[in-house]
Amino acid sequence: MSVCPPYAPFFGFAGVASSMIFSTVGAAYGTSKSGIGIAGLGSFKPELIMKSLIPVVMSGIIAVYGLVVSVLIAGALTPTDYSLYAGFIHLGAGLSCGLTGLAAGYAIGYVGDSCVRAYVYESKVFVSMVLILIFGEVLGLYGLIVALIMNSAATEAGSCTY
Amino acid sequence: MSGQTAAANVAGQAAQQSGILVKLLIFAAALAFAPVSSYFLSKDYLWDGNAVLAAITAIVAANVVLVTYVILSIREERAALLVSPASRKEPTGESKKEK
Repeated sequence: MSVCPPYAPFFGFAGVASSMIFSTVGAAYGTSKSGIGIAGLGSFKPELIMKSLIPVVMSGIIAVYGLVVSVLIAGALTPTDYSLYAGFIHLGAGLSCGLTGLAAGYAIGYVGDSCVRAYVYESKVFVSMVLILIFGEVLGLYGLIVALIMNSAATEAGSCTY
Repeated sequence: MSGQTAAANVAGQAAQQSGILVKLLIFAAALAFAPVSSYFLSKDYLWDGNAVLAAITAIVAANVVLVTYVILSIREERAALLVSPASRKEPTGESKKEK
């Protein structure tokens, strides 16, 4: 058993891919679900559309979190001198950011849809909608923080001696 | 409403929609462009190669774009309310409150 087998970069690249893929799935769900609500709101009160697009922008930020972690991990991958330890860390970092982004996107989608529909009738729903959306988005941010912490542990990994 | 005010309404709405569309396109481009560019630029020129601080910079940039959008949309709604209070119609609100 060597510390740096040749298949170690597989896990690193799997981390890069999973970070981008899962956070994008979450962001797509959030965008589409809140888009349905915005289409419903737009047919009654078109002047509220700019304010009701906030869930869509927040879903985009979830995808940006996944993108940043992907770029961060991909910058640390090398063909040689890459230990299996670093590979697993990068896989864990990618999965943590990706799946928390998926959860955050789901939350933003549901909340955006319902709150935007309620905003047609009651304008005081707006502040609570933004607060709930911020709490949902912070879920993705927690995953990103854990991914950053794990990635900094990978950079401290020793080089391959055998 | 007479035909003239209806035509003016449509033209006004079209002009308003193109303004809104331009604003949204600018924000979409900013949301795509700002984090990635701030990551690479800050990694090379600010943080001396430290990737984690560059990632934090990118996240801050993305959230700045979000906060700017929220503030801009709230201000635009307030400006729209001040400009045309007469054309504000609330039929659904009134019918709900009647019950």
